Amino acid sequence: MTETAVIAPIVKSVHVACSPEHAFEVFTREVGSWWPLETHALHPGEVREVVWEEREGGEVYEISTGGERAHWATVLAWEPPTGLTIAWQTAPKAVAPTEVDVRFVAEAGGTRVDLEHRYWERLGATGAAARENYGGDGGWEMVLGRFAGRLA
Amino acid sequence: MSTYAVVLEALVDPTRRRVLELVRDTGPAPVGVIAAALPVSRPAVSQHLRVLEGAGLVACTKDGTRHLYAVEPDGLDELRRWLDGFWDDALARFKRAAEGSEGA
Repeated sequence: MTETAVIAPIVKSVHVACSPEHAFEVFTREVGSWWPLETHALHPGEVREVVWEEREGGEVYEISTGGERAHWATVLAWEPPTGLTIAWQTAPKAVAPTEVDVRFVAEAGGTRVDLEHRYWERLGATGAAARENYGGDGGWEMVLGRFAGRLA
Repeated sequence: MSTYAVVLEALVDPTRRRVLELVRDTGPAPVGVIAAALPVSRPAVSQHLRVLEGAGLVACTKDGTRHLYAVEPDGLDELRRWLDGFWDDALARFKRAAEGSEGA
């Protein structure tokens, strides 16, 4: 299976006027305070809480208002306050996760947050095992359907 | 419908994504070669290629009497721009949250 960069990584940088420690904490523990849960969640607009297990191998998941738990990501690297990497399962049956890497760098007046979201092409992986996971009601279909719905 | 929505729609079908991936991996290829590698009929592959071409994801060139299909590298730009915009929005919200609660 090739991993040609069909979709180049998305690289972002933002300055926040606070310490790396605080930025890291808001990004993770308080993700529910800024993530657009009304549109970008597995229960859009019906998320009670987003839980971030703060360790390598930990899970990030949402709990819906109805009490259902839905997996978002697995923590690959947990290095507070300098950075983290997560394998982001963009949908329950997505064939493979995309990866988001975030770095928190102290700079004059606060913190620079560098974010890279990569491996979008994994969503189209052609491996046999991956294909078995395609399922009709998840994966790309669900992610893209939701994206497309938001764009319409 | 905007271009990125067309691209998204084109990519939603799993067989069509496989067609796109095959074209990407094999380079310029006629429909027969692409169809031979998939458990899908040749007319179905032709139909998928037409949709991908319509979305600007593959381009068709003529080599004598043969039509060769190849990936259009810029085709995914619209989608990528949309994802890019998503992160701009999300990080702007993150910035407001982080700066609003510092020292609280």
